[in-house]
Amino acid sequence: MTLKHLSDAAAALQISRRGLLFGAAAGTAGAAMLPAAGFAATPETDTIDLSQRHPFYGKGPQAGIMTPPQRYVFFMTFDLTTQDRQALQVLLARWSAAIAQLMKGETIGQVEPDRAEAVGLDTAEALELEPAGLTVTVGLGPNVFSDALGLAAHRPALLRPLVDLPSDALKPDLTGGDLSLQACADDPQVAYHAIRDLARIAKVTGTAATRWTVMGFGRASAGKGQATPRNLMGFKDGTRNIVQPADFDRHVWVQDGPDWQRHGTYQVVRKVQMHIENWDTDRVSDQNAVFGRHKLSGAPLTGTKEFDTPDFAKTATDGSPVIQDTAHIRLAAHENNEGVKILRRGFNYTDGINQFGFLDAGLLFLSYQNDPAHFERLQARLGASDALNEYISHIGSGIFFVPPAPTEGSYIGEAMFA
Amino acid sequence: MQRRNTLRPHAVSAGLAALVLLAQGAGTAQAEAAGVAPAAANGAAQVAITLTGDNGGACVLSHAEAKAGPVTFTITNKTATAITEIELMSDTRILGEKENLAPGLPPVSFTVTLGGGDYKVYCPGAKVETVAFKVTGAVAAQPTSSVGVLLADGTKGYANYVDTTVDAMVTAIDRLKAAIDAGDLATAQKTYALARPFYERVESDVEGFVLPGFDATDNAGNLDYLIDMRESNLDPAVGWHGLHAIERDLFEAKAITDNTRTLAAELQKNVGLLDKLAPTLEYKPEDLANGAAGLLEEVQSGKISGEEEAFSHIDLVDFAANVEGAQQAFAFLTPGMEKIDPALTKQVQDQFDVVTEMLESYRDPNGLGGYRLYSAELKAADAAKLSKAIQALQEPLSRIAEKVATAG
Repeated sequence: MTLKHLSDAAAALQISRRGLLFGAAAGTAGAAMLPAAGFAATPETDTIDLSQRHPFYGKGPQAGIMTPPQRYVFFMTFDLTTQDRQALQVLLARWSAAIAQLMKGETIGQVEPDRAEAVGLDTAEALELEPAGLTVTVGLGPNVFSDALGLAAHRPALLRPLVDLPSDALKPDLTGGDLSLQACADDPQVAYHAIRDLARIAKVTGTAATRWTVMGFGRASAGKGQATPRNLMGFKDGTRNIVQPADFDRHVWVQDGPDWQRHGTYQVVRKVQMHIENWDTDRVSDQNAVFGRHKLSGAPLTGTKEFDTPDFAKTATDGSPVIQDTAHIRLAAHENNEGVKILRRGFNYTDGINQFGFLDAGLLFLSYQNDPAHFERLQARLGASDALNEYISHIGSGIFFVPPAPTEGSYIGEAMFA
Repeated sequence: MQRRNTLRPHAVSAGLAALVLLAQGAGTAQAEAAGVAPAAANGAAQVAITLTGDNGGACVLSHAEAKAGPVTFTITNKTATAITEIELMSDTRILGEKENLAPGLPPVSFTVTLGGGDYKVYCPGAKVETVAFKVTGAVAAQPTSSVGVLLADGTKGYANYVDTTVDAMVTAIDRLKAAIDAGDLATAQKTYALARPFYERVESDVEGFVLPGFDATDNAGNLDYLIDMRESNLDPAVGWHGLHAIERDLFEAKAITDNTRTLAAELQKNVGLLDKLAPTLEYKPEDLANGAAGLLEEVQSGKISGEEEAFSHIDLVDFAANVEGAQQAFAFLTPGMEKIDPALTKQVQDQFDVVTEMLESYRDPNGLGGYRLYSAELKAADAAKLSKAIQALQEPLSRIAEKVATAG
């Protein structure tokens, strides 16, 4: 049953910033940057196709990880409100069925039931909207694999709470959770509707209650074929992100353990608040030094183009490193971390203006890796030494195991209940 | 059952349903679908209902007919992501149902004893939502539904509860007026807190009265406005009357004036009118369910925010009263609901228990009305916890009205 109408006009809508990027670069970059050549080398498919649908069922990973990042995210975590194993089973099965409907752009049930006394199952605000590339990705927190639920034996080998990390300023009400939902779409209302209706299923099945949430606008990481977007510090974010399938196999997907965990991955989420006003009044040379990149081009301070490999050994005439010791990209680079890479899939967020009168905004950092220790290794260095720490605070945190996609007729995590 | 206009056609002729059966049935199942369901060793005819995602969602019966007697329906959701429940219906009555169906879950079944006649299997979310099912043999005696009797008894019991609650309110308001007339502020504050819970227990049932001679939109004749209006929703043409206007005098101005006495006299008169009107109310089972849901909405909209008792801060007293009223309404439906849907009944009971246990922790024998004051600090610390407990109750409770309206 679908109540959606694909509007020809909407389906034809394609929003592109290509011309804009081109114009900006050509107008401001010096001849030495060879702007035309630089941009021509970038595969430019940064368009929105609201009719895009991603499949939910499959034999590999869940959608929403390797999927090129959409424009918006609605991320929510939940607390289990029961230790009834069957209730969790029903919730995961009903979530799976509903997500399959939502990703097709269809309702999850009746909007206006025939019976006057009935409540609608679908809340309707996504009617007439297109699928908008929606993906909903389900994560299972450490507490799911408990003795009380009879699931302790199924715990993924590396799933555990994250260790305390330097500079953590975590708020309890923005931290933890037993289940996570990451809904990404190119229409924010489609993402919101998905989370809202899935949260209702959690309540009506008596299984889980909402814990914390972040709504993100503006992707702050690039997938395959996408131009690198910018975070709210105005810098390109994710220039050296994982894009090649071989790197996903090596760094992201779980390759061993029980069958039902293969092509799973560990999701780390951090709510990173930015001190926007201080950053905006920082001189550009310091901003560039903090990241180790040029703000406009995204090039490392040792190069001229965004994708130039940073030269961490290069020194200035006074002998000091061109990319300073505490530069963000130096501390995070795989060259300086025994080859460790994680997939970043972050989004910019805002919560308005905070109680102190500051713009309340930052980065919803989402990373995927086949070992949470890889995130911890990088963040331990960054949290201790990153020059950026003056302008950010990690205020929220969570870790979840993301099982692979279910095949049609099954649901996420079904093998645990067999 | 009242039918509303819907966005999609759902009435399906028996012919079309049969066509779907043929289209969906495969091989031997196709031949069986037209036949009579075989009986298992226990004598119950066996009918399999298979839900698939084929053709936009299909609800397929293994057999279209059974002989009169016990019939077991076993439901398997293979791939139907849009179908989460099915019901067996006779006319507009639900005889059996299964919810929380989703692909991958184990099959579930229910058994009902059916007399000869035409039935239908309702599969909301399927492309064709209604599939005909026929039972041959002796027609069952006209149902003297025990569920219907239980629910009807419940509505009478609940009517009595509302009536006695309003009676008690009359007494409590008399005491409040006496304290105000005597100019005794401390006693007036105490009696205010003791008078509050009665209206909050039954508000969703008694808030609709308009006095004779007044238009429905005129707040001057709206008893709820005259008794319980908060400062935030005042109608300047009518002014402020009732309990919360008195609350302002007693807890903000902390002074009893002539105006306070006038307000108390008005209130006594209006509650007297309410007491005469309350016994005239009649209830259908769904009214109890909707009333309970309405009281929980009152908790979420007025008490969690601390807006209801902006001056006295006894919001937790009202909160507990709303919950008690909702629990009473539900309790009067419980004997019937246990037959209709024992799992949902237990879920709602359990969530009521969670809420009432949580409220216990706020009791304070020295507090006004027996609870801690809902201070700004307490609200900041606990509002989310309180509202989440009510949310967990609201969603399952919201499914009850439909069930009692279609039962018996």
